[in-house]
Order: sequence, then C-alpha cells, then structure tokens
Amino acid sequence: MATTARQSKRSPAELQALLREARAQRGTSLGRDAWRRLRRNRGAFYALVFLGLFLAVSWLAPLLPLASPMALDLAVEPQPPAWPLTVNPRRSLAGERPPFGAAPTLSVGALADDGWAHRTYVDVELETPLGQLEPTENPMVRALVTQTAERKATVYLRAGDRPGTFVQRHALPQWDSDRARIDWQPSGERGAVEGTLVRGVDGLYLKLALQRAPGGPTVLAAKARTAVEGVEVELVVEGETGRETRRYPMPWRAAAGARVVGLQLDGVRLPAEAERDAAGQWPAMPDELGEARLALEIAGRSIQLSADLESVKLVDTAGERVALETRARVVPELRAVVHDDLGSRIDRRLTDIGRVVGLEHTDGIWELSALDAGLLHLRTRIFGLWQTGPLLGTDAKGRDLLARIVWGSRISIQVSLVATLCSLAIGVTWGAFAGLMGGRIDNLMMRIVDVLYSVPFIFVVIFLITLLNEYRVELADRGIGYMTVFYVVIGAIYWLTMARVVRGQVLSLKNQEFVEAARMIGASTPRILLAHLVPNVLSVVIVYLTLTVPAVMLFEAFLSFLGLGVEPPRVSWGLLAVDATDSISAVVIYWWAVVFPSLAMGSVLLALNVLGDGLRDALDPNLRGKD
Amino acid sequence: MIRFLARRLLWFAITLLGVVTISFFLMRAVRGGPFDGERRLHPAIEANLAARYHLDWPLWRQYLQYLGPFDWSDQGIGALLHVEADTDALQRLPADRVEGRTFRVGSSVVTWTGELGPTPLGGVLTGDLGPSFKYRDFTVNDIIGQSLPISVALGSVALLFALTLGLVAGIGSALWRGTNIDLSLRLAATAGIALPNFVIAGFLIILFAFLMPLLPVAGWGSPRHMVLPGFALGAPFAAYIARLARTGLLEVLSKDHIRTARAKGLSEWLILVRHALKGGLLPVVSYLGPATAGILTGSLVIERLFGIPGTGSHFVNSALNRDYTLSMGVTILYTVLVYSLNTLVDLVYTLLDPRIELEES
Repeated sequence: MATTARQSKRSPAELQALLREARAQRGTSLGRDAWRRLRRNRGAFYALVFLGLFLAVSWLAPLLPLASPMALDLAVEPQPPAWPLTVNPRRSLAGERPPFGAAPTLSVGALADDGWAHRTYVDVELETPLGQLEPTENPMVRALVTQTAERKATVYLRAGDRPGTFVQRHALPQWDSDRARIDWQPSGERGAVEGTLVRGVDGLYLKLALQRAPGGPTVLAAKARTAVEGVEVELVVEGETGRETRRYPMPWRAAAGARVVGLQLDGVRLPAEAERDAAGQWPAMPDELGEARLALEIAGRSIQLSADLESVKLVDTAGERVALETRARVVPELRAVVHDDLGSRIDRRLTDIGRVVGLEHTDGIWELSALDAGLLHLRTRIFGLWQTGPLLGTDAKGRDLLARIVWGSRISIQVSLVATLCSLAIGVTWGAFAGLMGGRIDNLMMRIVDVLYSVPFIFVVIFLITLLNEYRVELADRGIGYMTVFYVVIGAIYWLTMARVVRGQVLSLKNQEFVEAARMIGASTPRILLAHLVPNVLSVVIVYLTLTVPAVMLFEAFLSFLGLGVEPPRVSWGLLAVDATDSISAVVIYWWAVVFPSLAMGSVLLALNVLGDGLRDALDPNLRGKD
Repeated sequence: MIRFLARRLLWFAITLLGVVTISFFLMRAVRGGPFDGERRLHPAIEANLAARYHLDWPLWRQYLQYLGPFDWSDQGIGALLHVEADTDALQRLPADRVEGRTFRVGSSVVTWTGELGPTPLGGVLTGDLGPSFKYRDFTVNDIIGQSLPISVALGSVALLFALTLGLVAGIGSALWRGTNIDLSLRLAATAGIALPNFVIAGFLIILFAFLMPLLPVAGWGSPRHMVLPGFALGAPFAAYIARLARTGLLEVLSKDHIRTARAKGLSEWLILVRHALKGGLLPVVSYLGPATAGILTGSLVIERLFGIPGTGSHFVNSALNRDYTLSMGVTILYTVLVYSLNTLVDLVYTLLDPRIELEES
C-alpha cells in the first residue's frame, strides 16, 4: 500500500523516465554486461587481443610466406636465427642443390628443395655457346619465360641429354591453371590409346601401340613425337572430305624423360615417323627397336586419350621394370583436348632459341584442405617464390622453426578446441542430468565421478592410445582418422570437473526463488530450463571452458612428448618440445630450438589463463579475486 | 571417522577392482603379445613360454589367477619346462605341442621333463604382481621396489619445492597486497601455471648445463641430482599453491576475528601465524591431493628428460612392450597412491576445519 501511495505522488513524466530507464536496463544482457567488465580488465583484454591475433596468424598460415615446415635438410647444421629478412639462403640460386636429381626422382628432388613444392618446372633445352665449357644461364630465355608466365622464375642448370646442350630449368610458382587440364570434346572418331613406358638400355622409352578397327579411315602417315604436353600423335588420314591431318595429344607428365621411339599401327611396327610409300607399304621397323610397342587403337570413329598423369612418375621411381601400362577406356564421340596454356605459350615464344623439353607440375605433399590449398595458391600469387629465411633458426633436421611453430599451432588449437567441446558435451549432459534428477541417481552418478577422479587417468589414456595404434588400419578403413580418435580420447577425460561444476550449479539454481517464481506463473519445464537455468549455468561453463583449453593444450604437448600424440610429418607444439629437448646436447646449444617454441607455447597458454580468469571475473563478479 | 574410513576403503576396493579388470582385459584385447619379436620363436619355446606365463589358459582363468592367490600349479601347467634335447636339432625341426608337456618334434614324440616352475603367477590380493614379461629375471615387485624409492624421493622433493615456494610466494603476495611485489609474484605464478614442466626443464638444463654449471643436469644418486628435476616438477604446482594461498589468506584476513585480534593489539606476525594461516591455507591442503597426483603424472616426463631411473619410464614402455604384468602393476601402484593420498588429504582437511563433515567426500 505504501509503495502505491508513494508512486502515485510521482508525476507521469517521472514515471515515464523510470520506465525508460528500466527498459534500458532490461536490454543489458548477461553477455553484454560481461563484455563491458571484460573490456575494463586490461590484462584479460590484452590477452583476448593477443589470442585473436594469434588465431588469425595460425589460421592464415598457408598465406604467409613461410618456409616449409617439413622440408628436411639433413646436410646442414641447425642454423641460428637469421636477420634481416632475407631470401632463405638454403634456397639460393647458386645451384648447389638443384631440384633435378635423376630424371625419375624429380619429385623427391623437389622435396629436398622445398616441401611445399608448389612449382611448375619448365625445362628449356639450349645449345651451349661455342667455346664455353660450363653452361651459363641464358638471361633472354629467363626473361621470355618470366614474361610469358607473368611470374618470376628461379633458374637451375644441368647438362642436356644431347652433347653440346644444357637444360635451363625455370621454377615458377604454380597456379591452378598450370595443370594439364583435359576437356572432352565431340569428335568425328572413336578409339582408345594404349601406352607403355619401358626402361631401355639408355633411358626411358614410350611405346605407343596403334591399331585400327576395319572400316575406319585409311591412315596414310603416322607420326609420334614428344611435345610440350607430353606426346602428340599425328595421323594423316584419308577421310570422306579428303586428306586431313589430325593431332592427338597425350598428356604424359614425364615427357621430359620419355622419348617416343616407335609406333605400332594395325599390328605393324613402325618408326616414330612413318609414311606409306607409293605402293601403300609401311617402312620396316628398325630391329633394335623391335621391343617398342605403343598402341593407338582406333576402333570406330573417335579417339579417347588416356591421361593418367601420376602413373608415369611411378614408373620412374620404380626403377628397372615397366611399371606403367595404361589402357584407355573408349569414350565414344569424345576427343581430348589438353590445355596447358603455360607450356605451349612458352614453347611458341622460344622457337628460335631453344625448345621446351619438359614441363612438370609438382603437387603439394602435405595433405591440405581445399581452403588451405587455396590460401597457398593465393600466397604464391602475392609473394611468388619468396619466402622468409630462418628468422627463428632451423631445427636439427634443417626445418624452419618459425614455420613449424606457426603450423604446429594449428594442430594444437584443433586438439584443444575439439577435445574441449567433447568434454563440454559429456560433462554438461552428465552434470545437468545428475543435478536435475537429484536423489539416488545423483548420488550414484557423482560417486562414479569421484571414483574416476582417483584413477590416474594419464595411464588410461596411454592404454587407450596404444590400443588405438594397434587398430589404426581398421579404423582408417572405416573412415575414422587417428587424429579424430586422439581428440575424442583427450576430450573424454576432461569432462569430470565439468560435470561436477554443472551439477553443483544446477542443484543450487533448481531451488532458487526465481525458478520458483517462474514455476508459479506457470512457465513450462523446458522454458524454465532454457530461459532460466541454461543462461546461469552457461557463464560457469564458459569460464571453465577457457580454463580447459590450456589444460588440453598442455596435455596434447605432454602426450606428443611421450610419443603418443601427433606424428610427423605433421607438427604440433608437443613435438616441437620433443625436438627442443633432443637438440640439447653436451657440445653445442641450439638455444633457439628450445627458447622460441617455449616462448610461443608459454605466451599462448599464459594469455588463455589470463583470459579465463578475466572471463570468470566478468561473468560472475562475486568470484572476483578468488581462485 | 571409522565409518568414513570404512566407506572409503569400500570404494577403494571397488575402484581398484574396476581398474584391474578394465586394464587387464584392455591389454589382452590388444593384438600382439609380449613375445612377438622380429625373430619368430621356435614353437616349442613359444609353448614353453606360454605355459610358464599361463598364456595358454582361457582369459577368465588368467584373470582369476592374476587377481587372487589361487594355486593351480598342481594341474601341471604352471611348470617351467626344461629342454633336454640337442638344441640345434630342436631349432631345425618343426615341433607341435600335443598336450601338456608332450611335443612332437620331427617324427618322434618328446615329453619334456623338468621341475615345477617358480611361483605361480600373480595374485594381486597377496601383493604379488607377478613376473615381468619383458625383464625375464625380475618380478614386477622387484622392478617397482627398485624404482619406486627414486620416484618417491623425486616426488617428495618436488612437493617440498612446491609447498615452500608456493607458500612463501602466496603469503608474501597476500601480505603485500597491491604492491609491485604482489603483482610480480602473481605474474610469475600465472606463468608457472601456463608453462609445461618440460619447457621449464629445458630452460633449466640450458641454464645449468651451459651458462652456469653448478648442478648436474642428468643422472641420479646424490641430493644434488634432485634439485633441478625437483624444481621443474614442482614449479607449476608451486605456482598454483601460491595462488590458492594468496586468495585464501586474503579472505581470512578480511574476517571479523582477525579484526578483533588486531584490535587486541596483536602483532601482525602473531595474527598471521596464530589466526590467519590455519584457515587461509585450507584450500592449499585440499589441493595437495590433486597436486600429488599431478606430480606423479608429471614425473613421467621429468624422469625421461633428466635420465632418472624411476617408475615413470616403466609405464609407457611396458604398455608399448605388452609387458602385461608390469604395466598393470604400475597402474595399480599409481591408483593406490593417488587414492590413499586423496583420503589422507581429506582426513587432514577435517582435522584442520571441524566444520566439514567427513561423510561429504
């Protein structure tokens, strides 16, 4: 009564103002309020900014011009941090480690050169100038290639296959458009190609077999030659419209190492270039090439070309024996047109100076997601081949430490996020259920948690992980990656505290006045749960989550340290710590291998802890200053 | 009190049984046995080994045998068989086990004679953890007996470090609250919590091995060897204890009874020692249980880094080697340690603070 009386004395304007104020206050949600408090806490705010920056760097790792985190360089001692920003001296143009190797192991050579390997190599064969013994780089060719490819090239030299020649290799940052792309177009013919790569006495030979079904157009002349795209088969046929020349390119990637020596047409062995004589007879095949066999099957009216790009490389590395036999499927009415814009463009420009003898597109060998691969390509568009030198030094295996720290952070972040979410799911369900049910069920469930608390969990995890290691192949067959299981296992042990916290909170909230009040005015149970209980539990859960993340990160490092976590070539901070302790020897200190990863890990964990404390203060002011 | 202890003991038995059962069957479920090596063993030797370690029994029987003092050696299986034959011939000939001690070697059937084996395996209830599968001449009790004192010494040193450093820092920072000392101590504590112990150990090794060679950075034997690993192991816990002590003390110091003591004219020192510490350090006591468990776990890494022959190294290795008994022995040991320490901490806690009832664990 008294309040009504007092209120009635207020003017309507005053009441309006009060109402406005109340409305304004009503909008101040728990989240906004907490944010305001968090911003006022300087330490937590800086920690938040730092973590944001760190996340951005970690997420954008493929975009940064870092060296490869996995390219081994065993020949070199660990290098101390190098300032200022220089081109990585390991990748100098001096040609001390050209990515040639033997022709068959080009990609391995690329691995030693740069693990990212996103390069397109254009090999140009040039005449060695008279009177010169050592090949020197031809700047004009480099300029031409650079101009045509619109990218800066890095040049390596090697002796050519023929005497008096040398090969100038241009390494270009790879773009997606560089890859040989095959478009199928309607054509007037049908057929299939069969190719075999064999190792002869003095090198690799590509054997092409060419067979025709009866009724097809008469072939007057056949010619197979290596071209920019690989191998090109040229047929002169007597068609309905008269004599015409048809070209069938075969996109063999290893064309640089392969030479066409012969053709087989309708079962007749022919030299690489053959033409019917006046009597309609094919020239005889030279005896020494009798082995050569390459079939181009023209069965009907269209030709289909096999384009198994990878297999050629496999042959090369396999060594002595024939490892490739590709038989193309017949695709009616289609004709393959190979686009390799870059190669053919350069070839056209080079007419008088030299010729392109090889074009190789290397693939990245770290399994990257589509997004990361895209970022990586974007990076080459921005920075080209330029990459930072060993700013933080290199580790005992010659890998760039900065790149490893940045790339390692990605896995550490992934682990901590996934495992934390896992613990969240289990812990909140368990705790909330126990708290809501109360009574005996609650007692039992919490007793189980107590018992689990006193089990030394690290050992259970070690057990589990050894077990999982044993069944890794079976898991992989079912599409479950080792890393996924690893995340889940870690998450599954961090739910205990979460369950306790949530249960306590639910228990204390369940009987509070505002819940009673809500029940009084007839709110349904789901509404009470969602509108009243969840937001109140949420703040505690969020606080606990921010403290779980660093704990999980530490635990991942701990497991990787014991050799049970992330496996090379992937890298995580735990592995970096292992490398660091391994690099401590009695003779030399590679201090950078210890200091920098520790600093990175320490600062992130510190920031997470500070942020967690700040969040707790912000979300629940009653707890401020308590631990 | 008695009821509390009895109840704890009951749960302890349940926990231990659970741990033993789960780890026993988990280990046996994993492919690969303890004797899988690069070189395939002769079938007779394999059978002999299997017989010696009861691996030829059905799983439930192995489990019961491991669990309790059941002596089944009179059934003629737990015997150590002696090979009385030309070893070369044995190696060359294929041998099949017919039954028990009888083998078919080549075309003839050979029955091995020999005395009964040593003790029957295991019997956890009698405190016998069985022979190690990997270190053939040792029992698990031997191995633990050799390595546990080292680990305990290391853990105690670490706990000592954690308590002294933590309490000194915590009390200091509570007493000089708000000053630069407080700020820097708190920062150090947060850093200590954030840094993994092997990172701290790495820094310590660099510092003491190269920059000022005062203390040995590897090995075991003298008290000097304990300083660095003890510190590295204890540092994160020291940091946490410092935080707990600071908060607890600050809370107590703002209580009424402290104000009364001040009004009475007691010196600050006496107030601290007589009135504040007991209540303020309660959170620290309750943290000691988890801290000990953490120190036990952390010693896995520290022992490896500093080359200390403690129990920690046995765990990972024995799990990888499929050394069933050793692996389980270490697990049981750590479970017992953690559980009993937790109980001890709870007891101490109630002694310090009579308001807390024992029933609520």
